[in-house]
This record gives sequence, structure tokens and C-alpha cells, in this order.
Amino acid sequence: MSDTVMLAHGAGGRQTAELIDTVFKAHFDNPHLTADDAAVLPRPAGPIAMTTDGFIVSPPFFPGGNIGKLSVCGTVNDLACMGARPLYLTCSFVIEEGFPLERLEQVVSAMSATAAEAGVEIVAGDTKVAGRGQVDNLFITTTGVGEVMPGTHLAGDAARPGDKVIVTGDIGRHGCTILLARDEFGIDADVTTDCAPLWGPVKAMLDTTSDVHVIRDATRGGVGTVLYEIAGESSVSVELDAEAVPVAPEVRGVCDMLGLDPLYLACEGTMVVFAPADVADDVVAALRATDHSHGAAVIGTVSADHPGKVIMRTSIGTRTLLPQPTGELLPRIC
Amino acid sequence: MTGAADKARAIIESYDGPALRIMEVCGTHTHEIFRLGIRGLLPPQVRLISGPGCPVCVTPPGFIDEAVMLGLEHDVTVCTFGDLVRVPGTDMSLAGARSKGARVQVVYSPLDAVDYARDHASEQVTFLSVGFETTTPANCLAVERADAAGLGNFSLLTANKTMPQAYQALKGSADAFLYPGHVCAITGTRAEEDLVGQGVSGVVCGFTAPEIMCALAIILRRSQEGRPFFANAYPRVVTREGNKGAQGLVARLMEPCDATWRGLGEIPGSGMRLRDAYAAYDARRKFDLPHVEGRSNPACRCGDVLRGACTPHDCPLFGKVCTPQHPVGACMVSGEGACSAYYQYGGEQL
Amino acid sequence: MCVGLPAKVVRVQEGTAVVDATGAQREVSAELLDDLEPGEYVMVHAGVAISRITSDDEDETDALLEELS
Repeated sequence: MSDTVMLAHGAGGRQTAELIDTVFKAHFDNPHLTADDAAVLPRPAGPIAMTTDGFIVSPPFFPGGNIGKLSVCGTVNDLACMGARPLYLTCSFVIEEGFPLERLEQVVSAMSATAAEAGVEIVAGDTKVAGRGQVDNLFITTTGVGEVMPGTHLAGDAARPGDKVIVTGDIGRHGCTILLARDEFGIDADVTTDCAPLWGPVKAMLDTTSDVHVIRDATRGGVGTVLYEIAGESSVSVELDAEAVPVAPEVRGVCDMLGLDPLYLACEGTMVVFAPADVADDVVAALRATDHSHGAAVIGTVSADHPGKVIMRTSIGTRTLLPQPTGELLPRIC
Repeated sequence: MTGAADKARAIIESYDGPALRIMEVCGTHTHEIFRLGIRGLLPPQVRLISGPGCPVCVTPPGFIDEAVMLGLEHDVTVCTFGDLVRVPGTDMSLAGARSKGARVQVVYSPLDAVDYARDHASEQVTFLSVGFETTTPANCLAVERADAAGLGNFSLLTANKTMPQAYQALKGSADAFLYPGHVCAITGTRAEEDLVGQGVSGVVCGFTAPEIMCALAIILRRSQEGRPFFANAYPRVVTREGNKGAQGLVARLMEPCDATWRGLGEIPGSGMRLRDAYAAYDARRKFDLPHVEGRSNPACRCGDVLRGACTPHDCPLFGKVCTPQHPVGACMVSGEGACSAYYQYGGEQL
Repeated sequence: MCVGLPAKVVRVQEGTAVVDATGAQREVSAELLDDLEPGEYVMVHAGVAISRITSDDEDETDALLEELS
């Protein structure tokens, strides 16, 4: 077998079978993984949650993870945000001709390890190979199915005045890691992605109380974007305590250099949670006792005034609107 | 909060003197004042006006048109600070040009653009040299470095501007200026001190919450003395003499010229361009660019906003057709622009 | 108009310095400041150290306000 992915690997013939056997089957082995046209799966007891997400990241390998780990975490976390225990994933690869097989194995092995940690089975997949230059290394799309835990009613429009806003850890690490990995601005900092599967933290919260209103993972656009989304969907405002938002010093330093705000940098292992004030402390305690959310903290409060807005209480105790992110993050000198 | 900050805050909050208009000429001050919610501390008779000190805001549409022309018609790689990417030109922004195939490279420093030119010998590389006295030395260092390395593929498209002429143009728009700390770090404070003789008051201001509050407290107190004043409230960074090395470098490579400020029009002697000895690094001369008369939306009131003659809310376009997502005027483009800051931070409503 | 980053000088080489801001490091031009030494604090703008920082702001603002009263 060659040491790079070739167009023939996507043509459906013998080489496709070889790639599937040696790379995908070897790593994804589980009782439900199918060689047929579709996986046939037992029906879960509760309602099912289903989601899909495409992953394009440049570079595909970065400190603390790679696109494979990301593609499992992203979908598993979307399920977890709905209170659904992740059960099954499918994955679809579009690989650029010439991508090293060794790298592909690293991606697939990261997917397998992350799936195992998240308790989810990868049950079906697809591989296509695109000509050189038609794809940036590889794109992965994953689709996930989960079982919604009984008694949970999580939704973006469920935040209520008086709720506390909680983050499950320090923010902006994934976005900062990718920014540094692209090496466009000559900055060095010891930052790794927060990319992690978060069913554990969600289960810990839901085991503590079923009275959690909203959970959302702060991916593209970061925590700031999520706060605006929820404020809009729930017609409430969020008063954010700027000083309480956990940010690693290195992330802060990189942001200061480039004139960026960590509130808009992507997270891939950090969620925003809205829960009633009387359970907030228990929720934070449960999160802090769980892997991937040891840094949980209350960062704000929900109020009925100024619906749709996010208001920031500043370091000097004044109030101001949090600016809404405006697309492409660009470093600024002024 | 520090003792000094508390003291300054007490002075600000207890001010009961006459009405005052204070203009922050520096866009970073505009940004920080909004981000820190400092307007919320001021008594109602004290008004902060956001002046023209954001190089992006005062960059006329014709400059963007020239950059777009370099990228699309001359196959030049346009290196730029991120701030300029979304600024509207007459027909399109650099982001628009990029989507049509122009190579637009965002860099952190003009020196990185020189490195890019060295690493891409087959491309012509032009750095968009905007900025005030703070940034101009970095642009000159880039030319010096390219010259020393014998790079024939590097040039600047200059739109550098200087503040003293702008103070003159803005005299009377405000009762006191918050002078731009990082400009003064380069220039020193003599120009600002001399303005006292012309009846113009102001305080050199830093960028942290205590520094901004302290400078405002000094203005509120000294305004009551009834005569023009100057103070340097940023002495840990700004000296009277400024950075002599930087001043010498800029004088060696550049000379003053007339410059058009978006919103303010042409201000004689307020620009900087490369001297003839460095003409080879001047993109306008190198690529023989035609004079471009850019057009901006006639309804846009950026000029009045920059002079403090109106607030963004008085502009008919503000928040309707002109938003940070679809900026019409330059004041909406940069996070530092007064319109953008009013829109993003809710102005004085909270 | 000019985002400035206060940073600590970590290393100095001919014409350049590596500066650190809470763990983020970058090489910047040191050509505009004479005899920069590791351990000093500088104000960085657009990849160039433009000024030495001579004290921390608290002492300074305190002194300025003392003058007022």
C-alpha cells in the first residue's frame, strides 16, 4: 500500500477496501460498525437527539488535538448540550489526494480514542478522495445520535431572569491555539486547545439537578456569541461580570498583542450553562469535580431588562454593552 | 482598584462645575473609554467627543481604491494591518478585492511585510502604510530594512498623518483634549505644551482605567482654574523629548505633505510621504498610480462626528444602512470608530 | 489610535528583542531604543518597541493626583 492517499482510494475498488480495512475498521472496531449500506441499531428508551457538523480546520494538527478529535467532540458536545447521552456517530471523509496515510491514521486513531472516552460508537462511514488543491488536507463531517435523558428540557429559549450564567472552564483556548498554529503573527505561547468530549460534565450537572435551563457549547464566535444567541432566543439580557470570566494568562497575552477579545475566540471543550440561582452553586461544584470542567465559574446573571442584550459589568464597576462580534477576527493596531 | 483610581473617580463623580466638552483624539481611547464604561461615571454636563484619531477612520476611500487597484490590476500582494481589511472604498473593500482574487495578507507589523517580501521574491509586495506618529516609525523601519536587504519587490502605499495640524483644525471643537499617549511617546509633548499659548488645553493620557480616570480628573479640576493648561498624565511612557531615534528615522526617510482626512477634508502639511531618495519604495511612483478621487456616501456624517459637531445618532445612516456588518462610513468600520463604538456599546444609553 | 502592549524584555539581540506579555512572546524591533536590557518593560506598537516604561502606573497616578489637591 502506498504511503499517501491516492485518487484510487476513493474509487470504490480494491484500494478503497484496503484503506477501509487497514485504517478505518482497525480503529473503529465495535459491534455496530457496519460493512453494509446502513447500520441497524437498537432503539433507545428515550427520545433521540440527532445532529450533524462539518469540520474544516487549518492546520489539521495543532497542540492538544487534531481534526479527528475535533470532529468527534463537536458532534458529541452538540448532543450533550441537549441533555442527550451520545450513542452513535457516522463520519464522512473528504481527503485531498497526497495526504499522508500516517497522518490519516493519527486522525482516525484520535477519533477512536475520543469516541471511546465519550462512550459513543462510530457505526458507519464514507470516504471520498478529491484531487490535489480541491480540499485543504481533509474535511470530516460527523453525524451523531443520542438519547435524551428523562426529565431534561434544555433549549436556547429557556433562560429566565434570575438564572446564573456559568462557563465550564477558561475560555478562548481553541481559537488561540489555531491562531498560533497558523504562525501568521510570529507569536509564541504555551497554549493548547480545550477540545474535549463534554458528556461527562453534562451528566454530572444533570445528575445534580434536572433544573438546568440552557447548555450551549461556545464554538465559533466564542462565549460572547453564545451569550447574544441565548439573550435573543430567550428575550432576556445577560449581565456579564467581566472580571469573573476565566481566561488563561497566555491567552490574554496573545489577545492583548493582537487587539482581540477572548470572549470571541472559539472554544471546543467549554460550554455556557444557564441555571436557576438556587442550584448554580451545586452545578458549579459538580462541574469542578468532573474532568474537562475543573475550571467552571459563574460569570453572570440573567435579567429581564434590555432583552436581547449582553451587558458587561466592567473592572471599575460601570456597565456597558458587550460588543457583538462582526465576523472575521482581525488583529488590529488601532 | 487603586488608591489613585478611587481618588480620580471621586473627583469625576463629584464634579459640579460648568459644562465641558472633552475630545479624545485617539481611537484607542475611544475604544477603552467605551469598553470600561467610563462615560457612565461622568456627570451629565461633561461630554466626551470622539475625535479623528483612528487612522482607519480618517483614511479616505481613494486610498482603499488605490490599494484595490494594486491588488487587482497590478498583481501586487497587499500587506495590511487587519484594521483596514473591511474599510469601504468607492466600489469595494480589500475583503471584496480578496474575494475577487487579490492577494491580501494581514500582518501584525510592517516588518513582517518585509519578511514576506523576502520570502516571496517573485511577488511585488506593498504595505499599506497608515497611522499617526506612533506607527510611522515602524513603517520607516520597514523601508530601511528592505533597503538594507536590497529588496526590489517591497514598497509602501503611504497615508501617514500627523496630529499637530489636526489639533489646529479641531481647535474650538472641545474645551480640552485627551492627548494620545502613544503618539506623544514618539513625538514628546512640546507641540501640546505650545498649544497652551493658543488657548488650547489638554492632558496626555494613558490607556488603563486608572490612567484614563486620572487624566479626566485633572481636566475637570484644572478647567476650573480658568486658564489654559497642559499636563502629562502618562509620564511612565511619555517624556518631554519623546523618542529621538524614532523622530530622526522618520525625518530621514519622510517629508511632510498635504493630506486628505476622511470627514475633515484636506489639511495642509498633515501627511507624510517618502522622500525622493526612497522613491523606489513608494508604491504610487513605482506603479505610476493615477490620482484617485474616491467617493463616499454623501449622506454620511462621519466628518461631523469626527469634529464632535454631531453624535452618531444624528446621522441618517447610523444603525440603519450603516452598521458594523455593512459599514458605509469609516467611523463604523474600525472598532475604534466613534460610530462603531456607539453602535456596539449602545452609546450613552445604558 | 495606537494599541500599545506593555511587555517585558526577555532577550536582546542586535536590533531586536523578544518581549513577553503574560506568557505570549514575540520578537520585536529594538532599533528605536538604545541599550535595552532584559528585565526592562517596554511599550510595543506594531512590532516595534517605541518607549521604555519607567514605573508602574499606580505610583505615578497617585503622585499626579496629589499635585491637584
